Amino acid sequence: MNIFQRMQNIDRRWIYLVVALCIIIPLLIPFNSKTYVTDPSSNLYQKIDSFAGKEDKAVLLSFSHDASTMAELFPMEVSILRHCFERNIKVFTICFSPPSAPLMAYALNVAKEDYPNSQSGVDYCNFGYKPYGLFLPIVLGMGDDVAEAVQTDADGRKIKNLEIMNGIRNYDDLNLIVDFAASAAVFSWITYARVRFGANVAAGVTAVMAADNYPYLQSGQLVGMLSGLKGAAEYEKLVDVFAAYEDADNPNGRKYSPEVIKDTWVPIMSKKISYDSSQGNIDTDVPLPYKFKMARIGMNAQSIAHIMIIVFIILGNIGYFTTRKKPDETI
Amino acid sequence: MLEFISNLIAAILTLFIFSFLYKDNPFYRFAEHLLVGVSMGYAIPLVYINAFIPFVYRPIFLEGNLWLIIPSCIGILYIFRFTRNLSWLSRYPIAFGMGIVGMGVPMSMHSSVLVQMRNAMRPIDSINSFLIFIGTVSILLYFYFSKPHKGLYGKFTNVGIWFMMVGFGASFGYTVMARISLLIGRIQFLLGDFLGLIK
Amino acid sequence: MKRQIPLIIVITLGFLFVAHTFIPSKASVDFYDWWVSWAKAISPFAVVLGILSLFMVHGTKIQRKAPNWQYSVVTLLALVVTAVSGFAWGTNEGTPFLWLFQNVQMPMSATMFSLLAFYIASAAYKAFRAKSPQATVLLIAAFIVMMGQVPIGAAISKWIPETAQWILNVPNLAAKRGIATGVGLGMTATSLKILLGIERTYLGSD
Repeated sequence: MNIFQRMQNIDRRWIYLVVALCIIIPLLIPFNSKTYVTDPSSNLYQKIDSFAGKEDKAVLLSFSHDASTMAELFPMEVSILRHCFERNIKVFTICFSPPSAPLMAYALNVAKEDYPNSQSGVDYCNFGYKPYGLFLPIVLGMGDDVAEAVQTDADGRKIKNLEIMNGIRNYDDLNLIVDFAASAAVFSWITYARVRFGANVAAGVTAVMAADNYPYLQSGQLVGMLSGLKGAAEYEKLVDVFAAYEDADNPNGRKYSPEVIKDTWVPIMSKKISYDSSQGNIDTDVPLPYKFKMARIGMNAQSIAHIMIIVFIILGNIGYFTTRKKPDETI
Repeated sequence: MLEFISNLIAAILTLFIFSFLYKDNPFYRFAEHLLVGVSMGYAIPLVYINAFIPFVYRPIFLEGNLWLIIPSCIGILYIFRFTRNLSWLSRYPIAFGMGIVGMGVPMSMHSSVLVQMRNAMRPIDSINSFLIFIGTVSILLYFYFSKPHKGLYGKFTNVGIWFMMVGFGASFGYTVMARISLLIGRIQFLLGDFLGLIK
Repeated sequence: MKRQIPLIIVITLGFLFVAHTFIPSKASVDFYDWWVSWAKAISPFAVVLGILSLFMVHGTKIQRKAPNWQYSVVTLLALVVTAVSGFAWGTNEGTPFLWLFQNVQMPMSATMFSLLAFYIASAAYKAFRAKSPQATVLLIAAFIVMMGQVPIGAAISKWIPETAQWILNVPNLAAKRGIATGVGLGMTATSLKILLGIERTYLGSD
């Protein structure tokens, strides 16, 4: 048996061991890496950012996934919530499946820890879990009156009495829905909220779903999209570079600029946010806790793992083609 | 202390599931069955509190809306699904919910077909828009089986296969990323939340 | 009675919903409100199906002392303990019910899916073969998209993420639009078949 034949018959557990090591080592020894921001992510960022400080504009985050895909979706949920808290953007959360409810509460708790001034019922509101039987009545009802359709929040308070509802009546105000899902759940929002009421819809999806959504991005049915852990890493960077930016001229963040995002990168090894660009380096005192860079740290391991998969495919093919029986030349 | 115990239990159960990678074993089977039980048990109180109380109990017994006894009885018919002679009764609640397809037909036609078609017919002003147009049309024709795929027509539909292969390749690339991300999440939990090795 | 009446219900409600979508009027809004209140009252009972099914499968295993019946006890016990804890102490933050979900269900569910990372790596080594020109194109597109997503790809060359985005925005978009349109037409056709009573498999067999 030559080396190629032996390679073909290797025990799968050795492959598993290599996979584990390729992920454990880069996580234990983190390193700075650059995150390339794509248009679907920056479009979503810009749309949300256009609501900054506006009384009559809000974002609705719909959680349509369970814990199985939390690794991909949780960092993007935290990043978007952080963006909203940083830029005083009204944000609502809702879910229609029981396992999503604790994930939604968890994402809110993790993001708001660093924003003690953001108050429930004033700056954000968790509508809580609503049974799936209410999906259509709520989605269609919000086209007329959000408070009437949803009735109560997760704490049992009447929505219409909450301060956050000043200026928020229907999809003209609750102008963007971001659905986080490992499925095609976002299409229910497109089919009912967008077709009937013209609401803006965006998706935060697991990477498995991402490639299928490109026709909907081009048609404008999705105003933006975050694709898996990469999308989360991109949004983390966007928030660091713009929403969390602080200086004398821009005490509450700065406006999005395609040149700045292309030129600037944020070293993730640092405990405080710092900006590295061709214009020079800026160090700030703004903390950069692990929870706001977990997707980017994860992407380091992702780099190594992708190379590993490509090497596996190449090695597997070399083994296959070298050990494949050659056709009998006498025939 | 509670956080440590919670993380410890979560970590042990995580390792029980990972143990399947070595081979099937009692620890994995225990965790697998525990997962099914807890998942189902979790839904029961939530559905009771968020659906049964507000939509059945409160309107009928507290607000006196006796009409709702009828749909409640229809809902109870679900139970007959598992009987040998009366399982046909469970078709009634299914049929009641299925009626909503009437609303879905025009709306899904609009969102999935008409808007996509409109965007496929954009003016061709660049090589990219030309490629998108050719790709979309050739794939649609590839799935049109009423005409044999022969000659020039066959060659054109063959172009669709190449576009699909690139599309499937993109999906495969993204799928690899997704699966690896899920593992990264668990390793981040074990090394970070549990062992405190990632700061 | 067994098949005809459910079919008549679907067809009647279906056409009323078509009318509701196209003809806005008070009658159509009243019809919709009525349907919603009834659908809401029916919906909680669907969960009984899941519970009964689980109890029947695992109960039979325990009763017959089938191989590995002990694990069925674990499933049923976990179900009962979780449900009872929710009824006894509520479902809010800090309750045993939520603790069970957060520290038992969530980590196990996430880990179960993370096993797929190992399987896809194993499949990459043992199964993904460039046996034909089409398969080779698929693998090359996959390589570029994979490298275009990760920081190391951008570090090697800025062309890698840009080419990956081009693949996603042009050939992938064309492919997915062609497929999505076909699927959309198929879904609409199936819905129409249900609406017209031609498609009846959802009612189950006799």
